[in-house]
Amino acid sequence: MMSTSIPTGRVLNIQHFCTHDGPGIRTTVFLKGCPLRCKWCSNPESIHPKPELAYNPNKCIGEKQCGFCLKTCPESAIFVVRSGDEADDKVRINWDLCTNCGKCVPVCPTEALYLFGKEMTVEEVLAEVEQDGTFYRESGGGITVSGGECLLQPDFTAALLAEAHRRGINTAIETAGNVPWPFMEKVLQHVDLMLHDHKLTDPERHKKWCGVTNERILANFKKAYETFPEKRFVARTPLIPGVNDDEGHIRSVLAFIRPHPNVIDYELLPYHRFGESKYGFLGRVYELEDFTSPSPETLYHLRAIIDEAFGRQATPDKA
Amino acid sequence: MTTDGKRVAVNLGGGYVAGLNAVITGVVLAANELGWETVGIRDGFDGLLFPERYPEGGLLHFKPRMVDDLAHSSGSILGTAARNDPFHVRNVNAENQVEELDRSDELLEKLRAEKIEAVISVVEGRALGILLKLARKGAKIVVVPKSVENDVAATMLSFGFNSALSYATETLDRARQAAQSARKIGVVEVLGEHAGWLALQSAMAVHADAALIPEIPYDLGKVAQKLKEKLKAGRDHGLVVVAEGAKPTSKSQEASIPQATDPIKASLSPGATGNHGAHVILRSGQAAEAVALELQRLTNHETYPLVLGQLVKGGAPTAVDRQLGLGYGASAVRAVNESMTGVMVSFQPPDLTFVPLDDAVNKIRTVPTGSVFVQVARSLGISLGD
Repeated sequence: MMSTSIPTGRVLNIQHFCTHDGPGIRTTVFLKGCPLRCKWCSNPESIHPKPELAYNPNKCIGEKQCGFCLKTCPESAIFVVRSGDEADDKVRINWDLCTNCGKCVPVCPTEALYLFGKEMTVEEVLAEVEQDGTFYRESGGGITVSGGECLLQPDFTAALLAEAHRRGINTAIETAGNVPWPFMEKVLQHVDLMLHDHKLTDPERHKKWCGVTNERILANFKKAYETFPEKRFVARTPLIPGVNDDEGHIRSVLAFIRPHPNVIDYELLPYHRFGESKYGFLGRVYELEDFTSPSPETLYHLRAIIDEAFGRQATPDKA
Repeated sequence: MTTDGKRVAVNLGGGYVAGLNAVITGVVLAANELGWETVGIRDGFDGLLFPERYPEGGLLHFKPRMVDDLAHSSGSILGTAARNDPFHVRNVNAENQVEELDRSDELLEKLRAEKIEAVISVVEGRALGILLKLARKGAKIVVVPKSVENDVAATMLSFGFNSALSYATETLDRARQAAQSARKIGVVEVLGEHAGWLALQSAMAVHADAALIPEIPYDLGKVAQKLKEKLKAGRDHGLVVVAEGAKPTSKSQEASIPQATDPIKASLSPGATGNHGAHVILRSGQAAEAVALELQRLTNHETYPLVLGQLVKGGAPTAVDRQLGLGYGASAVRAVNESMTGVMVSFQPPDLTFVPLDDAVNKIRTVPTGSVFVQVARSLGISLGD
């Protein structure tokens, strides 16, 4: 085990060659744990702070050929349905009985069972990030820490970004801002660019769709813009049809950010359903399953409003 | 009538099915016969865990006359909770952060404080594990199985299935008329992730051309062959019923379904990538759409997909489900009276009996491929895609 003086983080995944999480080609470090429960979340595996089991039935080779997990699970949370002539003997998980102990993971030869989330030190993370050094130095990229909510682990995130800075790596974070201000303040000192979400304007609607109200989030953002005038901020909205794809929301966000010259852009991220299969792998229910992506017309219209506010020409090809 | 002051609670978990009020009626009447009081816990366990949400109280105190006119009604007087899990209760903490808390100890304490002797829980198969854990912690639990897919193990018939079957059958009749007038092949998807009872039995009831069920992987080439023979003989329409969990045989899957992995999905999380799963149901409607498109290609005849989905869960219960619901409710009270806990009421015709929850957990009642249902379907000329 690591000494307690070295902060470790609960890391979900380190993703290389990202182009949507800040300038240039970036390496994104996803941390685990989120204080919101947005119904459209496309990374459900990042929500809970502790490591958790996921199961991809496509990789399971079945009880007949394997079946090790069935014997290993101490909670009897793994079972087989056994039906039909062409017997479907892939295992199933009883998610209510599973305690995420992870004992089934090392015995699964095909990695159908796996655990999301592991403790890593700053050094371990940066060793992996620096493998891409050439790419992001050439492209003006760097490291982005995302989540879950990276500001829920302020000591680790601050230490990671401080060390990245010391090594000359450009730093960015992606945050939804629902943390105590000291957490954000601590991390922002080591951040070049903060991508931050304005999901909904109205506090009650925010509570309905994301689980909590947004007063503290907005207060944090305002304080961040004012306390760190030298930092750059990019506001973002995941655009969900029927939830926040209206002009009113876009205009309120613009009214909120435009007085601050260090908020350099406002991006719309059209809702997609790429996360939905992962709900199945985690045994959860995807509540927005019947929704579709916003139409190109809606996107164009809303982006034109943003471009106008930023004094730019419309960029129809941005979708 | 004497009363020994016993109090039983009834609650519902998961989605609506026809006949919920019949079970409640059965519990209230049978408990009343024993001189007991019945309380209903609103919305799963929420009535106890979040009493502040209920201005009229989180518990509904039943009197026999309240249920006089209830058994035949649709919906539920009590409300239900989609996730009825006291081990993972969503909470907003003092830091305005959402978290999931284990409130099972608190729930047990509240049951004691309310002097609730036992809880009769009306749930689908999925929630059995939660109730088993509660029973292991010392709560007295009796389960009544509900399912529109009839997939709860250790019972012949869950209530709610018969009503769903009747509705599906009626809709299939209409779908066939629509197919007739449009001269198309109707492909109707019904619920059934693991178990094909609803698809098979409704297809039998209307003697459809094909029934595709999860238990028998299908080869659409064979279904198309059957349809083409009928088209050739002059019948210009068809009707195919597909369970949402039906899947192609591995051989035909390789041939017909593109195997490419979505690169964007891959970039989101390498651990969770892979092709769409044989039994990860992404959303309802996919089975109907996939089958309809492929059959259109193979038969060279227009098809149309139709998805019944959750509609089969609504409506008033059939006579069978009313009887069954009342019987299940009354039998659950009998289990409490006989000091049973951790049991599920089980219909094993002609008896209503009791099985340990362990017998039903981690099992799914599927269609045996050698069963008489399958044999009869084949005799009727219904293609099962094999």
